[in-house]
Amino acid sequence: MRPKTIHANIRSKQASSSHRAAKDPLQQWFKARGWKPFPYQLETWKAFGENKSGLIHAPTGVGKTYSVWIPALQRWLAQPETLDSKAAPPIQVIWITPLRALANDTVNAMLRPVRDLELPWTVELRTGDTASAMRARQRKLFPSALVTTPESLSLLLSYPETRAKLQSLRTVVVDEWHELLGSKRGVQTELCLAHLRAWLPQLQTWGLSATLGNLDQALNVLVGTHHENAVLISADVKKETVVETLLPKNVAHFPWAGHVGLKLLPEVIQKLEEARTTLLFTNTRSQTEIWFRALQEARPDWSHDIALHHGSVNRELREEVEIRLRAGNIRCVVCTSSLDLGVDFPPVAQVIQVGAPKGVARMLQRAGRSGHRRGAVSRIVCVPAHALELVEFAAVRDAIGRHQLENREPLDRPLDVLAQHLVTLGVAGGFDANEARKEVQNAYSYRHITDEEWQWCMDFVTRGGQALQAYPHFKRVIKRDGLFVVEAPDLARIHRMSIGTITSDSSVLIRVLKGRTLGSTEESFIARIRPGQRFNFAGHKLELVRVRDMVAYVRRAKKTGGAIPQWMGGKMPLSSQLADAVRGKLLEAANNIFRGREMKAARPVLEIQGRWSRIPTPRQLLIERTAMRDGTHHFIFPFAGRLVHEGLAALVAHRIAQTSPSTLSVTVNDYGFGLLGIAPILFLRDEWKKILSPDNLVKDLIECINSTELAKRQFREIARVAGLVFQGYPGQPKTVRQLQASSGLFYDVFARYDPQNLLLHQARREVLERQLEVKRMQKVLEQIAGLELELVETERLTPLSFPLWAAFVQASVSTEKWIDRIVRMAEQLEAAAQKEVCA
Amino acid sequence: MELFAEKAIFWPRKKTLLVADPHFGKASAFRHAGIPVPEDVTAEDLKRLDALLAATRARRMIFLGDFFHAKTGKSIATVESLNQWIANHRDLEFHLIRGNHDIHSGAVPEDWRFHITDNTLCDPPFVFSHAPFFSGEGYVVAGHIHPAVRCGMRLPCFHFGAHCAVLPAFGGFTGTHVIKPEPTDRVFVLNEGEIAELPMLTFRS
Repeated sequence: MRPKTIHANIRSKQASSSHRAAKDPLQQWFKARGWKPFPYQLETWKAFGENKSGLIHAPTGVGKTYSVWIPALQRWLAQPETLDSKAAPPIQVIWITPLRALANDTVNAMLRPVRDLELPWTVELRTGDTASAMRARQRKLFPSALVTTPESLSLLLSYPETRAKLQSLRTVVVDEWHELLGSKRGVQTELCLAHLRAWLPQLQTWGLSATLGNLDQALNVLVGTHHENAVLISADVKKETVVETLLPKNVAHFPWAGHVGLKLLPEVIQKLEEARTTLLFTNTRSQTEIWFRALQEARPDWSHDIALHHGSVNRELREEVEIRLRAGNIRCVVCTSSLDLGVDFPPVAQVIQVGAPKGVARMLQRAGRSGHRRGAVSRIVCVPAHALELVEFAAVRDAIGRHQLENREPLDRPLDVLAQHLVTLGVAGGFDANEARKEVQNAYSYRHITDEEWQWCMDFVTRGGQALQAYPHFKRVIKRDGLFVVEAPDLARIHRMSIGTITSDSSVLIRVLKGRTLGSTEESFIARIRPGQRFNFAGHKLELVRVRDMVAYVRRAKKTGGAIPQWMGGKMPLSSQLADAVRGKLLEAANNIFRGREMKAARPVLEIQGRWSRIPTPRQLLIERTAMRDGTHHFIFPFAGRLVHEGLAALVAHRIAQTSPSTLSVTVNDYGFGLLGIAPILFLRDEWKKILSPDNLVKDLIECINSTELAKRQFREIARVAGLVFQGYPGQPKTVRQLQASSGLFYDVFARYDPQNLLLHQARREVLERQLEVKRMQKVLEQIAGLELELVETERLTPLSFPLWAAFVQASVSTEKWIDRIVRMAEQLEAAAQKEVCA
Repeated sequence: MELFAEKAIFWPRKKTLLVADPHFGKASAFRHAGIPVPEDVTAEDLKRLDALLAATRARRMIFLGDFFHAKTGKSIATVESLNQWIANHRDLEFHLIRGNHDIHSGAVPEDWRFHITDNTLCDPPFVFSHAPFFSGEGYVVAGHIHPAVRCGMRLPCFHFGAHCAVLPAFGGFTGTHVIKPEPTDRVFVLNEGEIAELPMLTFRS
């Protein structure tokens, strides 16, 4: 594998400044590879040497790994006592990576200078996949550097002997920090770091991140609240990104709606022919399956030259694909965000994005997978599925140009993660409540934790819940000699097994009858498939035989066709940065400015939008009202992303129903939402203002959304993390099976007998904040209050409203019929548009 | 036979109340293992039984198995509330058909004077059993499955098949298993104290 770093022709301003470059074997090693350090690397080496902590942000492929690994080795070499040392040094570095898939490559990259310079360091991996014998050995004798995941680190901290073994630890590195930030695994990492800092006050923390909108905050979260003079280092390595869009030959007939863009298959195939190795990104796993199948059917001769890679595909199969990618002997890998992260595959010559980009940072990250050589250009080819996606692609290019990137918001004190952490501390030999609280408040996410919340968490792990009376005989964490400990070995064992469960939805393994495991998928997906039904998974055509003990047994299906798996995760909402850029593009269009190929291609459709209705500008809120045979429909276009629209639609429907009782359906997408089938009421401007008012938002929202259903769903994750739901393991004894209950059951029982339970509050809060983005909703409604309302009566569906109507039909009509109906309507609309053009 | 939304069946001719899968002590088995579940579940279940007995004036009760959830769940508090409840209903004749959970939960206290069987209880035209099966001796009434159907949401139900009826699990802290009824079956769903027969059209696909 080619090292993920830079080449000789780089001119660096301060390459040999005040450093003792000549004498330093590591700098020599660096030079011997024909590399010269980037300025940001030198800056990092210096700050590292001064024992500072910090966050480095840089695009992929510019040597972030070595920017912290080299100085860690340097520091050790500089110690006089190490000169003649032949023994492996005791642990110096813990390297946290969010993805197991990255860990191997990281270890290899770290080992390279160690081997070349014959340093006695040991570098080892410890993840959920590491054999248990190896893990046991590691607990006795830690390597000099340990590469691990947040879960495995948390697990490691649950062993009482770990503290003594980590006395020599000097540095923790968190790789891909932007991926962890904003997730519960990130919070888990924060708590682990806070715990390590309590043991080792001198510990330095370094984070490696892609560029974000809120880097200062990302740094603060990483180093915790008591840290001063941590540094933010920017790798000012300009990388040019070219966004190119594929257009069909006949632009006039660009479809109004559609979601997979398969119309452009021939053009995509042509692109694949031109490049040696291509990554084809889609937005959802189901689109991955669809595209993989389409490519295989179109080019049977490539069947061994195309592969599939997404989060549900079995690890071994994924690794196979990664090895082939690295070797460059594969034409195309169809993938999702599973390949967004981390290690580079230098042979990748081209990146294709199918479907709307949804976010600026994400687009940059994906583009960055190609053109790794210094000075090379990152190139991303976009495949729009319909006309409006063209606008989104044009917008993303603008946003990249203006460097408008999204923020990653850190989570605010999730109590389930804290409860889990407290039990971990209890398992690890016990904790003092006051010290633990101080330590926990060192983690950014819990810096504002209240006495009440803290006490509730303590009660939860010691007594089961707030109401002492309601939980007799409960014991998990108990107080012994002033320390809170977990004494029962079986409780400790069960807790350790559940530590790794923060990550994902309850997953079901997919296994061929008497054959190998193909991967895993969410339980909710398998639950919708009946035995005997066919589906596609990981590029195989399968038929479900039965589901038992979280394993779905399948056999290969002979016939093709069948449902395409619809996984979750397809609902990546439009980011507000990109939404703003899209509105900017629409403003240009409203002013009759069509710059660039995409906007020119979208022009006919946008002009129809303008003629039949309006092209909304950022100063206006467009509301279309269309009377059709199936009812009178209203379409509102705030351009705020689908999560916000989901909340808004529910809110608006609720407020309308209060004034005029009626049943109505709502549909949403990233641009707006539709209220379908209302009695033909004509709302006036003032009424709309009231309906869209930001006042009483939270109160109305809680009243109107099926908050119970949503909260119940959100509670699944919380129940798992807080240790209520135990997933069990193969061959478990009966006693364990008797302890299994679904999170829904827990939710019901809590709601009924302990309604003050803070985990329920957390579930509701997470629904409001994470699923409905209530803060963004508030902001959007406040903006709307200042906008001009454009109420337009349209004769037919418009390019903006058509997709919302189609979603409505899809939800209300049986599967076979909806496609027909939508296709027919699209034909009619396009024909009407054509006629106008001709006339 | 009368069906109750409180998850029980009353057989008027024999003044018999049928209840399946109460799983008493499940909450305390969880607490014993360090998983917090509120205790009031048991009290509430017993209250519901009281109400059923009062409404039906039953003379006989048949538990169709899984009376106890697990050995670790027979905490002093749970057993004490059951003692008390049994004492309040001395005039009743109790039958328990032991289910898979009962077998691992140890004996039922002798002074409860339960009539216990490990197999089935034949009382023509019915055969009472823990697990559903086909019997030549009569129509089987059983538990074990914890049946539920999906109709918008997951709701517990009574399921009447051609040869066998299955009761919903009685216990307030029990899960459900989604069943796929035949078009000729009858299904009665329970929701918030209401009971309703589901038109079988729902399952035609």
